[in-house]
Amino acid sequence: MTAPVPAAVPPLTLAPPRGTLRRAVALLEVDRRRAVEAVLLGALALGCSVALAAVAAWLIARASQMPPVLQLSVATVAVRAFGIGRGVLRYVERLVSHDLALRGMTTLRTSLYERLAAGAPAATLGLRRGDLLARVGADVDAIGDVVVRGLLPAGVAAVLGAGTSLAMGLLWPPAGFALAACLLLAGVVAPLLAARGARDAEHAALGARADAQAVALGVLEDAGPLAVAGRLRGELGALRAADVRVARATDRGAASSALAAAVGQLAVGLAVVAALVTGVPAVADGRLAAVTLAVVVLTPLAAFEATALLPAAAVQVQRSRAAAGRVLALLDAAADDPAAGGTTGVGGRREGGATSDIAGPGGDGPRDTHTASGSRTADDRVPAPTGGPRLVARGLAAGWPAREPAVAGVELELVPGRSLAIVGPSGAGKTTLLLTLAGLLPRHGGVLELDGTDIAHLDRSTVVAAVVASPEDAHVFGTTVLENLRVARGDVTPDEARAVLGRVGLDDWLAGLPDGVDTPIGPDARTVSGGERRRLLVARALLSPAPLLLLDEPAEHLDPDAADRLVTDLLSAAADGRGTVVVTHRLAPLGAADEVLWLSPGATRRGTHATLLATHADYREAVRREGAVAEGQDVAHR
Amino acid sequence: MRPLDPRLLRYARSARRYVALTATLGVVTAALVVAQALLLAHALGRAVTDGVSLGALAPLVGWLAAVVGARALVVGVQERYAHRAATRAVAELREGVVDRAAALGPRRLAGGDAPALVTLATRGLDNLEPYFVRYLPQLVLAATVTPATLLVVLGLDWLSGVLVIATLPLVPLFMVLVGRLTQGRAERGLVAMQRLGAQVLDLLAGLPTLRAFGRERGPAARVRELGDAQRRATMGTLRIAFLSGMVLELLTTLSVALVAVAIGLRLVDGGMSLVTGLAVLVLAPEVFLPLRQVGAQFHAAADGVAAAEQAFAVLDEPAPAAGTVAAPDLRATTIQLVGLGVRATGGWAPRGLDATIEPGRVVALVGPSGAGKSTAVDALLGLLAPDEGRVLLGDVDARDLDRETLWSQVAWLPQRPVLEPGTLAAVVGGGSEGARLAAARLTGLSDVVATLPQGWQTQLGRGGSGLSVGQRQRVALTRALLADAPLVVLDEPSAHLDADGERVVLDAVEALRAAGRTVVLVAHRPSLLALADSVIAVQRADAADLGETVAA
Repeated sequence: MTAPVPAAVPPLTLAPPRGTLRRAVALLEVDRRRAVEAVLLGALALGCSVALAAVAAWLIARASQMPPVLQLSVATVAVRAFGIGRGVLRYVERLVSHDLALRGMTTLRTSLYERLAAGAPAATLGLRRGDLLARVGADVDAIGDVVVRGLLPAGVAAVLGAGTSLAMGLLWPPAGFALAACLLLAGVVAPLLAARGARDAEHAALGARADAQAVALGVLEDAGPLAVAGRLRGELGALRAADVRVARATDRGAASSALAAAVGQLAVGLAVVAALVTGVPAVADGRLAAVTLAVVVLTPLAAFEATALLPAAAVQVQRSRAAAGRVLALLDAAADDPAAGGTTGVGGRREGGATSDIAGPGGDGPRDTHTASGSRTADDRVPAPTGGPRLVARGLAAGWPAREPAVAGVELELVPGRSLAIVGPSGAGKTTLLLTLAGLLPRHGGVLELDGTDIAHLDRSTVVAAVVASPEDAHVFGTTVLENLRVARGDVTPDEARAVLGRVGLDDWLAGLPDGVDTPIGPDARTVSGGERRRLLVARALLSPAPLLLLDEPAEHLDPDAADRLVTDLLSAAADGRGTVVVTHRLAPLGAADEVLWLSPGATRRGTHATLLATHADYREAVRREGAVAEGQDVAHR
Repeated sequence: MRPLDPRLLRYARSARRYVALTATLGVVTAALVVAQALLLAHALGRAVTDGVSLGALAPLVGWLAAVVGARALVVGVQERYAHRAATRAVAELREGVVDRAAALGPRRLAGGDAPALVTLATRGLDNLEPYFVRYLPQLVLAATVTPATLLVVLGLDWLSGVLVIATLPLVPLFMVLVGRLTQGRAERGLVAMQRLGAQVLDLLAGLPTLRAFGRERGPAARVRELGDAQRRATMGTLRIAFLSGMVLELLTTLSVALVAVAIGLRLVDGGMSLVTGLAVLVLAPEVFLPLRQVGAQFHAAADGVAAAEQAFAVLDEPAPAAGTVAAPDLRATTIQLVGLGVRATGGWAPRGLDATIEPGRVVALVGPSGAGKSTAVDALLGLLAPDEGRVLLGDVDARDLDRETLWSQVAWLPQRPVLEPGTLAAVVGGGSEGARLAAARLTGLSDVVATLPQGWQTQLGRGGSGLSVGQRQRVALTRALLADAPLVVLDEPSAHLDADGERVVLDAVEALRAAGRTVVLVAHRPSLLALADSVIAVQRADAADLGETVAA
């Protein structure tokens, strides 16, 4: 029944549009004053090395002229001071710049979360597919990295380069110009070449690298079946072929990288030779002091430390740009939400005081507006005319955005006290319909109204106060059982939690947990079996205050008897005043439903279990088959 | 961590030539560095002391320019081949790991470190690139340039040489000291950082769920809190980690400063020539430069080295010995499981399993989940060696088999069908189109094909992408029907299928039986059990019940 879910995020583009990185870095909201501080500290630290070289050159050249020792004393002290200053300043600079980047990453993560939370629901539904999520984490890190390894070093190199060139220029203008030109060679040309090399190699290798990873993954996951099917050797050959293509692509970018490295090295030597060639005649003419010549010739040897980092910085910028493109694509997908239009602003309210691990207790929107009025009496089976919310679908078509509708022509009406079962063969669009009914996917066509208003025009908090869906792939958070249940309602007490777990048949499971409801369960519930996980999700949904509940395959992974018991209980729960929709593929317990919606390609039927049995041949056939299977079960028991 | 593990050269052949090249270039670089310093010192020294004309210095300057050009060339060549070697070595290690992991069998791959192995083979080994491109060349330079320049400095001026030598051992000493002191703290910090990062991702992953409950707004504050906590933890670690860098820079820069002061003081006394002084001044920082670079690249390389060590651990595991006996014809061979037992976490699954699978019969394995049904299948197919008992094909022990002669007689439909990329027709296979259509009608695949615009020519991606799970199951079932393998193994063929899908499986098993093929079924559903000629219960034995302590 799981329809293949498309990633709601556009595929990553090879070349993100111009300004991508700037937009992403702007999201870091880096404190400008502190950034300037970091650049100045960095420039000072490396400036210490340059000054050390310059003063040492002066010291030695001057000393060779055998002046009184006293004349050298300032220089000897300065040399040692620069020696210490460099290490200390660099340490402080690294701390400041990393703190800056980490603060920015926190801001980016928070606004990413906020915007995804406020944007189009469909954009987040695709988030859990594949390694997209892990990539989001790595991508945010990469955007933060661009500050520490890209922008700040570039700033330091610019400040230091300008300062050193100016100082040398004041001593001997031709040497100053030569140094400036060589610094541009090492600090601009070489990084551009390096970035081009990295880009060429990465572009060319992208497909091959993905192939190699996919084949490797496939072999590791299915080594046994592949071996038995005689395909293992072929797959290993495919891996080798993909690796060969990666190697060829890397070679393509290596020439640029090599040139970048050579240019960087050449620039240092050129600056030295240029100072020597222009300075020597000047000394011979007496236009330049001999001691100054030593300074302008030897200082360049230490002046390229900042620019030497820039080729790597350019490669980092290149990588971070791709990461920024992916993060922004995610944000943009969330931002173009047709439904978010006139409702909640993207900025969003921020509820503070989260005492609960995940969502703060209470304060999350105007809920309970309906539960208060929806009188929960046992005989509330007649649709309350004004009491509870009324969800009405007419001719509704549901499907994933930018895909054919999975299901069309759905007619239904749900009010507190009614129960509805949605059944149909695999792939009939049951889950998609459920997400659409809960307002989590935009509808493809038809009418979907809550209390007479088009659901697309309603504020999300209004919708969720009335209708809550628990899809089969709902997330189990990496926290305690209780906190996981509190996702539905922040003030769930441990007793309530135990009661509802008992109701869905998890009492034995709970008894086996070391700390009861306070036992932590793994992220994505790896420590919980499939059936337990599904029932935990049902328990969570049952704790929601919303008067209309939409449950997706609550009994999957259970044996038929237990499954039928649970579905029957949930469908009968309508008696306590809720409106319940249960998506299921078990037909036996549907007698408990007020109405059954039978989805099949081309024809959607609704009616009670009895009516459908009497009037609809396919339904009758499906029930008969399930019955036949059940008989088989009896045979086996005998 | 060993800076250069000999196993790297053994397992990655590309690394050998690269290390040789890097070593050669390292020696050349050392010579060029020394030459550059001496040429520069002579030219500058003569210009400063004697104020000679450029013409008199022309040969020196010419040679200097040549050396500068040569250094640029060497750096370029190094970089050119570093990337190539890194890519090839990563590829060789990846292929080796995947190959060996596959040979080690499903049990190794299902172990606790399986996710780590997957990460290693997909992305982890890529971390070796900075090791090859940045770290290794600097390591070589530390072994060539550092001693060469040091010797020259000693030869020129023993006092400066002694100053440098006195500092040199302090560099690794302080690195190790600071490393020791900070290690525990850094590791704790790292764990905290990873945990906090995972929590933020957990909230992002759960966003659709939070939205479904209208509870998505509250956690934004939590994301910020976690981010701040993560920043504090990281900064705590960095404050200490950067200390080692600071000590390193402090020592080396101060040492150069002291050398400069010592030279200056002796020049004033006339105890040294300017040329010598300049040469030593230029060379002194070159002694330390490779060491500083090694220190700077250490962290970038560490991930790669860790990945390589994981890879070596896999490659060092001996692959199970393959048997040589050809499998008997399964159409006429009875397969027996005799007292089969396989160790599992917390006990045995299965234990004491006896089964006789006669040709042409349908045998079902039943038992609660975790009893070891699929493990029994793995043992039956020779994919793992049982810890107890035997698998007999006729009178041949499965251990002695040339397993490929067994596998060629088997069609296996595992729990999650594995489909290769290709057209639907090619994936399903089968001799004639008629046979294929008949089988597809039986499995309901023909209904699926009818909805596909390109029908049988639809291209399937790797792993059957483009089809739903249920549809893939039908493809795999059709293929099992069409394969003429005498033994068909179906592992929970009706999982994830509704009643209609289940009927298909029942029909398929009937068809297989009618064709006289042996069927081994792993089944939960009673309807399938009803179909079997014999039903065998698989049981696990928990260590607690056995009163034994479990190793591993």
